Order: sequence, then C-alpha cells, then structure tokens
Amino acid sequence: MRRRIFRNMCTLALAAILLSSTLVLVVLYPLFNSQMQKEMQIEAAYITAGLNQAVNKNAFLKTTEIQNSTIRITLVAKDGIVLFDNMAPAEKMDNHLSRPEIAEAFATGTAQSVRLSATLDSQTFYYAVRLDDGTVVRLANTTGSVFSAFIGILPLIILIAITVFGLALPLAKKMTNKIITPINTLNLENPADNSVYEELLPLLYRIRTQNQQIKHQMDVLQAQQEDFAALTSHMSEGLILLDTKANVLTVNQSAIYLLGAEKISYRGKNILTLSRNLILHRAAETALSGRHCVDLLLIKNRTCQLFASPVYENTTVKGAILLILDVTEQQKAEKIRREFSANVSHELKTPLTSISGYAELIKNNMAKAEDISTFAERIYLEADRLVALVDDIIQLSGLDEKNIQLPPEKINLLELTNLIALRLLPQAKEKNVSINVAGDSIHIFAVKQMMDELISNLCENAIKYNKPNGKVKIDISQQNETAVLTVSDTGVGIPREHQDRVFERFYRVDKSHSKQTGGTGLGLSIVKHIAEYHKAAIKLESTENNGTKITVILPKNSEHPV
Amino acid sequence: MRNRFDIQLEQLNNELIQMGALIENAITSAVKALVDQDKEQALQAIAFDHEVDQKEKEIENLCLKLLLQQQPVASDLRLISSALKMITDMERIGDQSADISEITILLAEGPYIKKLEHIPQMANATIKMVTDSIDAFVKKDLALAQSVVDYDDVVDDLFDKIKEELISLISQNPDNGGQAMDLIMIAKYFERIGDHATNIAEWVIFSMTGKVKIQ
Repeated sequence: MRRRIFRNMCTLALAAILLSSTLVLVVLYPLFNSQMQKEMQIEAAYITAGLNQAVNKNAFLKTTEIQNSTIRITLVAKDGIVLFDNMAPAEKMDNHLSRPEIAEAFATGTAQSVRLSATLDSQTFYYAVRLDDGTVVRLANTTGSVFSAFIGILPLIILIAITVFGLALPLAKKMTNKIITPINTLNLENPADNSVYEELLPLLYRIRTQNQQIKHQMDVLQAQQEDFAALTSHMSEGLILLDTKANVLTVNQSAIYLLGAEKISYRGKNILTLSRNLILHRAAETALSGRHCVDLLLIKNRTCQLFASPVYENTTVKGAILLILDVTEQQKAEKIRREFSANVSHELKTPLTSISGYAELIKNNMAKAEDISTFAERIYLEADRLVALVDDIIQLSGLDEKNIQLPPEKINLLELTNLIALRLLPQAKEKNVSINVAGDSIHIFAVKQMMDELISNLCENAIKYNKPNGKVKIDISQQNETAVLTVSDTGVGIPREHQDRVFERFYRVDKSHSKQTGGTGLGLSIVKHIAEYHKAAIKLESTENNGTKITVILPKNSEHPV
Repeated sequence: MRNRFDIQLEQLNNELIQMGALIENAITSAVKALVDQDKEQALQAIAFDHEVDQKEKEIENLCLKLLLQQQPVASDLRLISSALKMITDMERIGDQSADISEITILLAEGPYIKKLEHIPQMANATIKMVTDSIDAFVKKDLALAQSVVDYDDVVDDLFDKIKEELISLISQNPDNGGQAMDLIMIAKYFERIGDHATNIAEWVIFSMTGKVKIQ
C-alpha cells in the first residue's frame, strides 16, 4: 500500500510538472512570439518610414541605432542583391530573391515568414516591407525555438521532480501510517469504542453487525452442543460420531466406558486411538463406505452390540454413527434361559422315560404279576416327582414374572418354623437326623406361603444332604431391624467351587446322586427368588464334609415387599 | 492450513495403529487357540498373518513415498524411519503368532501332557507387552514404552521356568518328549514376540526422543 501511495504521488507530481511545462510552452511561447512579431512590425514601420523619407539611405542605415540594433536589418535590391546588412558584410551574402518573405514582399508589399534553424534550437522571424523605391527592407529576429525553450527548462523540471520524489517518500510513509495505524489498532470486539477517521465508520459498522451475528450463531451452536452433550452423556448406550476420515467428532462417556478406553478427549483423533478393536474399526469402515452394519463386540468380559450407520448428506457419506449397547446381561440371561430349557426337558424326560418304560412292560404283559405293584409304585413315584417338578417350575416362573397374587401378612417366624419342623419330622427320622429349632418370637411382614416354601426348602436340603445321626439347627434371631434365619446342618457340605452356582436352576453339586436324594434341583433357586422378592439377603457358608450354614436376613418392618 | 505432508503423516500414524491392532488380535487369537485347543481359532490367527503382511507392504510404500517426495527432517524423519523398523517387528510378531497356531493345530489332536500354567502366563505377559508398546505409540507415552522394555525380563524368566518344567517332564516320562519339544518351541516364540515388542517400544522411544538404546 505504501509503495502504491508513493507511486501515485510521484506520478501525480510528475504529471503536474509536465503539464505545467507544456502549458508554459504551448500558451506562453506563442504569446511571446506574437508580441515579438508585433514589435518587429512596429519597428519595421519606423524603419520603412525612415528609409522612405531619407535622402541618403546609406547614411540612415549607418546610424548607430540601426548598427547596434538587436534586430537584423537587411536591404535587398530589386534583383535580390543585398545592399546592406547590419550584422554581416553585404557583399558576401547570396542573392536573396529566393527567400520566400522577400519574394512575397516584392509582390505584395509586406511579407513575413518563420524559419527554424538547421539544429532546430532556434527560429528566425522575418518581416519584409517593400520601400517606395522598390527595394525591400527585411527585419529578422532570432529567438530560441520551443525545443530549446523546453531543453532550457528541463534541468529545472528534473530538479523539481527529484525534490518531489524526495518529499513524496516520507510523505507517503506518513500517509500510509495515518491510514493503516487506526485500522491495525481497531478494537474489533467493541467497534463502537474506536475513534477513527470517518471513512472507516462504514467498516466499523459492518464489523459490529457481523460481530452480533457471530455471537448469536455461537450462542445457538453452543446451546445445541450443550443440549447434545447433556443428552448423550446420560445415555447408557455408547455413542460415537465419526467424520469421513474416521476421526471422532463426538464420543460419550458410556462409549468410553464400554470400550474400556482412557478418559481423555478424543475429539479430532482417529477412532483407533479410542479403541483398537478390529470389529469396531471394520464396522466404522463399513459405515463410512455407505453400508449399515451390526456386529457383536467382545471387550474384556463384556458383550456389546454394535450398530454402525452411515450419515448421508444428499448422496455423499458425511460421516458415521456408531451405537454400542451393553448386552452382557441379555446374553447371560439368554444363556441361562437356554440352559434352563435344556435342563427342564432333561428333568421332565427322565421320569417320563421310567413311567413309559414300566407302563409298556405292564401293557405288553411282560411284567410278572408280583412285580406289577412294584412297577405301579415306581410309576406313582416318578409321576409324583414330575408333579413336584412342574409345581416348582410354575412357582419359579411366577417368581420370575413377579406375578404374586398373595398379599403379605404379619407372620411369627418362630411359629412358622416350628410348624415346618414338625411337618418334616418323619423325613428327618427316616434319615436319622435331629431337628432343633431355637430363637426368639419375631414377627415379620411377608407372604406366608412363600416364607413357608423358603424355610421348607432350606430344611429339606439340610435333612437330605445330612449324614446319618446328623443335626439340623434352625435359629431365629433379631439383629437391628432385621430378622435373621439360620439353617445349619452337619451334612456333606458344598465344595468351594460349587458354592457360587448352587442357586442356579437345576444346578447339582453331585450330578450322579440326584436320583437318590430326589428333589428337582430347583429348591435353592426358588429360595433365592423368594428372598429377592422379600428384599432379603442370603449368605452361604459351607465346608466340605463339615456342613452347611445358610443365613437369610429378612427386613423386619418391610410393609410393602417387592 | 494443513498441508499434504501432515495428512500423509497422520495417515502413517493411523496405519501403524491399525497394524498394531492386527497383531494384537493375531496374538490374542493364537493364545486363545492354544489354551482352549481350538483349531478354528488357530486358523483365524494364521489368517491374520496374511493381513499383517499386506499392511506391512502398504506402510512400507507409504514410508518410502514420504521419504522420496517430502524429504522429511527432524522428528518427522524419525517417525518415518522408526515406522519402517517397527513394521518389521510387527510383521515378525504376526509370523510368530501364526507359527504358534500351526503347532497348536498339531497339539489339538490330543490332551496336553500337563495342564498349561506358565505358558498362558507367559502368553498374557507378551500380550501385555505388545498392547503396551502399541499403546505407548498411540499415546506417545515414554514411561509406558520404558515399562515395556523393562517387562521383557518377566517374559524371559517365565521362559526359563517353562524350560525347566519341560525338562523335568521329559525325565519323568520320555514319551512326553514330542509334546515337550512343541511346547518349548511355543514358549520360544512367545519369548521372541516379547523381544519384538521391546524393539517396538524402543523405536517409540527413538521416534520421540531421537535416542537409541545401545545394547
């Protein structure tokens, strides 16, 4: 800019100098010339008059005025011979008849002409008048030509130009500074606070309006971003947004957690920095190539379902959305359900096979008469087992669905336990096991049938898995606001590796003995569900060959279980 | 404005992480196959080797292109030269995972002479080293890279333990010899993988600091 201003200033100055010189030459020079011509004409008139009247022309011409005149005066005879010249010896001069002004003067009386010298540096103005005697007097005055005048003032022009350039440089600098400094020091945040020259005001006005627009848009964007962040951060699903280069635009906390990544900012980083899981990376690539894709991610001990979808703008892919759902629980539940179905079918089939086998023997008359009653007994027992099993399954599925129609009521836990102990006495006697109920009379609020089931199941197990002459001890006590029911036996115990699994449906510690001990394999599972229904905790302590102790901690004042 | 060179460098970075992810998967599959005697998984681990080789060629081409066209200097040059070295180590890890899986397929025909105990330990230790070395590269984490270099001793100690264990198994019953040889090969492969992971970590250190550990 500075150079441009300097250049413009110089051009302007130069143009001004040239123009004024031209003006001088074009206007003043002709003026000066015509003035000179006029003067010459007047002088010519005097001389003509003088010569016409002079008796002795030579004497007149020899007067000092003529001799010293700056104007060249020449007298030419009719035949063109120069009679007199005040600046050169007349006899040496050529015949002047061919000179245009002289020829014209002979013809018309007066004539004038202008001739440039050979070098163009001067011009001569001639004025010729015919005298009464027929001779012609000619006046000539030489002045510098336009060119010489121009060349004459050229050094001056150059001097002025140099001066102007010299002045223009700092001036341009100063001017540029004056223009630029206010612009450079503008307070763009608050354009109204600036005091500047008025030509800048429209600019400031535009900056101000744009500032307002930007601020407004920023506010809108920020609000949107905050909304988005708030929405995504509370999602339990992992959400990742990617741009076309698989760089992360957004990743929510759940995604970072599910992928087991470090909690740092991943914005703008490649998805590989978030997780190097190949399935995730390939799903992202698939989505970015424009196809939808669903896959299962196995990260550490979690199973996650991954949905990857491309984001289109018109027909081009602008990015991808990855959604990660934790399906570990569903997968586990699915597995348990599958196992349950398999177990149920197996458990149902076993008694049915016996029943159908015995029945077939009887039907085909292959059974001896004395065996029939034994077979009938077997059929009866197996059918009984089947009924018990189906009952348990119904009860479990009811507990699963939390579909309990019975209302909770106030129960005396000790009373209920005594009743159960009494009911189980024959069974205990059969195995030669003693039952001992002790404790305080504690009231709890629970569903009676369910509590009956819970305690019976625990006691039955304690009897069933006891050793001959063993003991079953049931203790009821109060601890703070809870009722604690403890069923301990002196039985075979549960090996450590099975302890976590005995509450699973159909889980048996000793798979080979299940037939002998009977039971459906659902007892403890039912106990667990009932306890859960009553918000009770179960603790299992057991040492192999030493006995098992199961503690149920029931909340006492729970008015509304479930 | 980011120029073409920066974009290419980032591409190199991402490709390296991708190759890292591939070898992590290869070695994890190989270990799983070995422990579970799972032929299917072993075949998968072998399949990874091809992908790893492919990736190595791609990265090599990219590195050479960068070297020729951009004439990188300072840290950029270090990144590219260490990338060239790292992919060689990564490719070797891929190869060795495939080798382990090939032995696994042979061993899957019958039960192991002894319940594998130290070999899975060693396998997990090498997986950790590989993962950490790539993590160190991704996060540009000097301390983590150094920890990988130090962790190599754990793997080496486990190798010695396995060696002694197998020697005693052979002396108990010479029939164990065949499988013991295969197992010692596997252990040696893991030990080598650990060494390669150490190399990767050292190249990470070099690319960041310009210092090479003189052994």
